[in-house]
Amino acid sequence: MLTRWSDRDRMFGTTDLLRSRLNRLFTDFDRSCGYGPGWKTAESMPKTNLYDNGDTFEIRAEVPGMAKEDIHVKIQGNSLEISGTRKSNAPEGYSGQRKERVALTFSRSFTLSSEVDAEKVEASLENGILVLTLPKSEAAKPKQITIH
Amino acid sequence: MSERTELTKREATGPTLPHLVQAVAPAVDIFENEDEILLHADMPGVLKDDISVDIDNGRLSLSGTRRLETTGAANWEEFGEVEYQRTFSVPQTIDVNKVNAKLKDGVLKLHLPKSEASKARQIDIQ
Repeated sequence: MLTRWSDRDRMFGTTDLLRSRLNRLFTDFDRSCGYGPGWKTAESMPKTNLYDNGDTFEIRAEVPGMAKEDIHVKIQGNSLEISGTRKSNAPEGYSGQRKERVALTFSRSFTLSSEVDAEKVEASLENGILVLTLPKSEAAKPKQITIH
Repeated sequence: MSERTELTKREATGPTLPHLVQAVAPAVDIFENEDEILLHADMPGVLKDDISVDIDNGRLSLSGTRRLETTGAANWEEFGEVEYQRTFSVPQTIDVNKVNAKLKDGVLKLHLPKSEASKARQIDIQ
């Protein structure tokens, strides 16, 4: 039976590989949607990421070709709305050969898991990525309890 | 027992997958007028230094890598680190030396001027 250890070993290796592939399946699927031609459903809205840093939320959104005047962010309690427009930027005097970057108007709303301090929200736009830093309101922040 | 150590060792090194960066084709607009071809490509989050534009033998290849530094727990993530990659055929009439590129708001704007010799010319009849 001991001679079979290497076989079992190989089998475990394969199972592990399969398991890690399966673990990645959903993230990969999420990421692949909306990219590339053929999958149009997600393209009418910018893709976003939400990170929870404990004290703050951080939202990032892909907004290529939009200037800061084109984007509006509204916050009320724990709901957040990002809206914006991308104008068609066809330059004058050119004929279009290919048009994949559509002009769009979008509005996307989020419900955050806790209230945020609307006064202290920071927004920045860099290289076509909108970054919002939303500090949680005092009541929602995690607190360290000292033991007496 | 020596076989057993081999088993544990294999498991430790395990089949760890390399950190894969997904390659996607950026959306592009292509415009043309008498003097040049203009190409706009969406590359949100890509820095200027991470973009390369190569023209070689009538093939134009764009490539840009986006790095994301994240902190905290991701509640959801719809985009990640990505490599934008796309190749086009460009006509030989493009003056390769005069090509210039700009990056603004995550959009790469590439100007491909046509060479003087290839421009349409009206011939006057004498």
